Amino acid sequence: MIAHAEALLKPLTIKGLTIRNRVMSTSHAPGYGVDGKPKERYQLYHAEKAKGGIGLTMFGGSSSVALDSPATPWAQISVADDSVIPYFQSFAERVHGHGAKLMIQLTHMGRRTRWDTDNWLPVKSASPYREPASRSIPKELEHEEIARIVRDFADAARRCKEGGLDGCEISAAHGHLVDQFWSPSVNHRTDQYGGSLQNRMRFGIEVLSAMREAVGDDYVIGIRMSGDEMLKGGLTHEDCVEIAAEYAQRGLVDFLNIIGGQARDDIAHAVSIPNMAFPVAPFLSLPSAIKREVDIPIFHAQRITDLATAARAVHDGHVDMVAMTRAHIADPHLVNKLADGRTDDIRQCVGAGYCIDRIYVGGDALCIQNAATGREATMPHVIARANSAKKAVVVGGGVAGLEAARVLAHRGHDVTLFEKEDRLGGQVNIAARSTWREALSGIPRWLVGQVEKLSVDIRVGVVADEAAIKALDPDIVIVATGGTPNPGHASGSDHAVTTWDILTGAAEPSGTVLLYDEMGQHNAASVAELLAKRGCLVEMATHDLMIAQEIGTTNLPVHLRELYKLGVVMTPNMELIEIYPEGNRLIAALRNTMTDAEEERVVDHVVVEYGTLPQDDLHFALKDGASNRGLTDHRALVAGEPQPEGGEGYALYRIGDAVAGRNIHAAIYDALRLCKDL
Amino acid sequence: MGAAAYLSWLVVAMIGIAIFQIARRVLLWRRGRPAEVAWLAGLAALPRRYLVDVHHVVNRDRGASRMHVPVAGGLVAACVLSLAGLIPALTGSRPLWGLVFAGFSAMLIGAGLVTARRYPHKLPRLSAGRYQRLPVLLLAFAAGGAFTAGLTSIGDPLPPLSILTLFVAALGGIGLALEVARGPMRHALAGAFHLVAHPRPDRFGDGRDTALRTIDLDAPKLGVETPVDFPWNRLLGFDACVQCGRCEAACPAFAVGQPLSPKHLIADLARAQSGGDAPAYGGAPYPNARSVGGTGGPDRPIIGENAVIHPDTLWSCTTCRACVEECPMMIEHVDAIIDLRRFQTLELGAVPAKAVDPLDNLRGCDEQNGQPLAARADFAAGMGVPVIRDIGEADILLWLGQGAYDLRYQRTLRALIRLLQMADVDFAILGDEERDCGDLARRLGDEATFQRLALDNIAVLSGYRFKRILTADPHALHVLRNEYQGHGGHYEVIHHAALIAELLESGQLSVGARQDLSVTYHDPCYLGRYNGEFDAPRAVLDWIGVERREMTRSGRRAMCCGGGGGAPVTDIPGDTRIPDLRMAQAKDTDASIVAVACPGCTAMLEGVVGEVPEVRDVAELVLQAVEAGRVAAQPAAGSPPQRVTA
Repeated sequence: MIAHAEALLKPLTIKGLTIRNRVMSTSHAPGYGVDGKPKERYQLYHAEKAKGGIGLTMFGGSSSVALDSPATPWAQISVADDSVIPYFQSFAERVHGHGAKLMIQLTHMGRRTRWDTDNWLPVKSASPYREPASRSIPKELEHEEIARIVRDFADAARRCKEGGLDGCEISAAHGHLVDQFWSPSVNHRTDQYGGSLQNRMRFGIEVLSAMREAVGDDYVIGIRMSGDEMLKGGLTHEDCVEIAAEYAQRGLVDFLNIIGGQARDDIAHAVSIPNMAFPVAPFLSLPSAIKREVDIPIFHAQRITDLATAARAVHDGHVDMVAMTRAHIADPHLVNKLADGRTDDIRQCVGAGYCIDRIYVGGDALCIQNAATGREATMPHVIARANSAKKAVVVGGGVAGLEAARVLAHRGHDVTLFEKEDRLGGQVNIAARSTWREALSGIPRWLVGQVEKLSVDIRVGVVADEAAIKALDPDIVIVATGGTPNPGHASGSDHAVTTWDILTGAAEPSGTVLLYDEMGQHNAASVAELLAKRGCLVEMATHDLMIAQEIGTTNLPVHLRELYKLGVVMTPNMELIEIYPEGNRLIAALRNTMTDAEEERVVDHVVVEYGTLPQDDLHFALKDGASNRGLTDHRALVAGEPQPEGGEGYALYRIGDAVAGRNIHAAIYDALRLCKDL
Repeated sequence: MGAAAYLSWLVVAMIGIAIFQIARRVLLWRRGRPAEVAWLAGLAALPRRYLVDVHHVVNRDRGASRMHVPVAGGLVAACVLSLAGLIPALTGSRPLWGLVFAGFSAMLIGAGLVTARRYPHKLPRLSAGRYQRLPVLLLAFAAGGAFTAGLTSIGDPLPPLSILTLFVAALGGIGLALEVARGPMRHALAGAFHLVAHPRPDRFGDGRDTALRTIDLDAPKLGVETPVDFPWNRLLGFDACVQCGRCEAACPAFAVGQPLSPKHLIADLARAQSGGDAPAYGGAPYPNARSVGGTGGPDRPIIGENAVIHPDTLWSCTTCRACVEECPMMIEHVDAIIDLRRFQTLELGAVPAKAVDPLDNLRGCDEQNGQPLAARADFAAGMGVPVIRDIGEADILLWLGQGAYDLRYQRTLRALIRLLQMADVDFAILGDEERDCGDLARRLGDEATFQRLALDNIAVLSGYRFKRILTADPHALHVLRNEYQGHGGHYEVIHHAALIAELLESGQLSVGARQDLSVTYHDPCYLGRYNGEFDAPRAVLDWIGVERREMTRSGRRAMCCGGGGGAPVTDIPGDTRIPDLRMAQAKDTDASIVAVACPGCTAMLEGVVGEVPEVRDVAELVLQAVEAGRVAAQPAAGSPPQRVTA
């Protein structure tokens, strides 16, 4: 039972618009926009949250109002012309059909975007100061252009209203044009738009006044803004309170959506979208402080991943609406689960940042643990029962095997799950041993809870061999045996230990350590941090252009911050070619990938990370008895159709790292995609 | 003429003694407050009330009826026939004495059965003490009488033996007559009077009368402080108790070790009238009995640590009426408890500590937890439920009740609303105009707050047009249907299970395939015993095709969940909790689900921890079945979202 859960389930009325409860999802950019439009995928993604009981879902983070604020980056929405209106209408109908409200975020990105896309127009800002994050040098806006952008905002607001959306907010957070005018770190103008805070607030006031005029007083308009830029030379908390109070008092906005921080560079960006390294609700004090100064509703998002924290935030009066955006990516049905007394069934966001990190490299938002999110057209959030019950055996209790067991059990099959270790969870248990990555343990914890509840026959500490499996006379065998560490290809690699050895405790190095990484993922970076924290002098070398190159925008800065703090030496563009002992120490030979020059390190230990190799003995032992010879039919899999049947014996499938070493999402998607049709 | 002729005079003597003895009690009863009694109607109805209504209750315990019919019937027949011997022409009639012999013989068989209930070991629910003499007296009178009459009927061959048997009969008979004032035989005369002058005559003849009586708030004293504050016919009712203990066996508070036994309570109320000379109580003590001063008297307070009954006893009652239902003497235990509570609450302000806040809130905020009335419908935000103020009229007014504030029961109410919407029922809610119905205030003795809430609610209801009031709360149903009548509110009120049964019957709701569930239904006291609705919830469960299992105690004799009568707020500790006991009974059926139909039962049973059946309201089970039917009739995932009324 969650204390004060009732606080979350109270409706909130803003200007006659009644939102059924206090839980919302903030506007964000999942990378689902197509041609600047929110089409079916985008709509289904939000409709699922509406179906799941959310009060308000906001879409279209950074939706563009003007031609010189391109929508292409992050596959965003363009509200710069009327062609988007029919999409809004169908979107609103879908979401309203499930009783939720739908709003959008409108913005002009100012300098925080690219000039080399869409219309190839130069980016604009209050003053020509470059933002580190976007690396664009803006053109200083002239008065005529300011007036034109104000009109663009007003036109966009009209399109929202005509599209049947319940409201909109403008973004004045994360360094968009409105807060570029506000912030003295960007705005160096000397005209009526610069200088005093009153002057710096002018542009936003003009924007909101024009929007108000366009849509009338009864349409809900809000603003997303920072409660403290936490930046030297930026907006202080006092500035932000003053701005919020001024805009609210003028009746320009009906709600304030408060964040903490800004996003002008990599670390600021990572802090403003806090990952699992941060405590929950790290910036709740900011909306709370602003709520004291205004009498309009306050919204807030920032790592509020659990309902207990959300209920506290609302019940204690810090905020009026609590945004659980990533929490809904992990489980779009969380409000219904709360209302139905099934909070134990909520798949809680672990804060891995997998969803958001993908969009910064041009991908689509996908949840590390919920493979159905963003794939609503093809993947079910609620698994339907199969027409006939079968006997299924799943070998391997890592996340792939657990997900397979979960889905098969929901299908109504009789499932037996084997795990050779004493504990379910597989490789995630190992990964979760490194410092702030501990929260990963939430992924198997939920899966284990579900399979236990679904009465899966769980046999831990049991090695499943061919005979044991055949003795169960299964119809389906899923091999999810995972992988084992790849020792790598350097000469003398037997002198090295792997990152697994460090995390499992099989090796406990001291002294100097060379950590060599060919994956560029969390694995090596988090082990480097762990070793350094244990007192080792660590050099982290990689073949890649930079350390931890594959880690995303909201996670990499946190790794780098920790590695710098701990004095880890970071050496990119080096390949490990040989390890050999000398006395009681080791010599590691490295080759510069650019120059071919070789260097040597004298160290106490060498730790390597080359990913994993499949553990597939069992699979091949079972292959001959399988009706499908252990091969998954890709055409049927991709088409979302049942696997072809026929032939003698059980159907054998291999999923997750047992096929090829990949990641958690791939393992879970393998399982869901296959098993939902079995 | 044999010794039997003296039997006639013995019976005369016994009648004389009995009249003298009962007269002592009559004088006590007469000190009670006046009560309107329809004497002639009562007298006319007496045979039917006794032979049908009382016998119906007695007969639930077959052993008891097999015992009582011969012992009482034999006693009455033998005595009446013996009196016939006073007619000179019949004094020497051997056939007459043969009939008397038959009467006493029947009585002797009954007396043997009475004895078997007490010796060598008495049934646990029976009282000991004075009551253990009863078989001896009955046996003596019956055997003595039988022998005496029998010997006379065959010509009195052994006069000395006849004298001896007459003597035995006289000992037994006089002993029985003496017992009429303070012993077990009081129940015979007081019971007969009670049936004639019963305070709830409407309950006889398959009738039902369970609404608490209203009181005049301008009266000089509110509620009952001393025995004489009770109406006289209620004092009479206490004297009718024969301490059979059926009420005690049925009492949930007694079962879990709370300091309440209805039998003990009624005996205490009878003793309280008598004052200091009352015999000691021979039954089981109140569980975990709180010590009391124990001095009673017609003008002395009944409740108090220095009185006869400890306040914890008074506040342990859940008002479930299981005792009333079981009582063969038709005693109204709950009425007595409420009258006593009224004095404690209204005159002394002496409510248990945990009940203070709820009553304060009801007085100040019209809601027991001080929550805004406007928040009552929060749970339904986004469901598109119309408020009657906005539309003026509706077929059905949905009374949400206290459960609407409870996270768990909101699920039930949402399920009910979804069902109403699917069935296209024209319904509306009162929104922020719905106040607490007053049930809790009334059961806690705060009649003033109840009456105020009732009048306010009636005033609101009078402003709208609707055909029926629907509620998922049997407590609200009971006060709206039965107790607002005393204040001018007359409504047709229907419980949600009954309405759902109608909707299934009429085809407005249709269910999918048979639900593969085993369900045991827990009867809410205020729906079942208070309002006689046992069938509709069961019919609904049968309709959706679940496997229905009955608990040992179900229907009229179902055990309370512990949630009524303000017991959850008075919270008198016992050895265990009533819901734990009830849930164990549900678990004994091996059903996977215990179906409920009341927010109180839901909350109490949901509070039971451990491996127990899942608690689901009837509405939730029906919604599940209806939705299963819809899914089966529609294509699966990937199709566009269906339009849901919002």
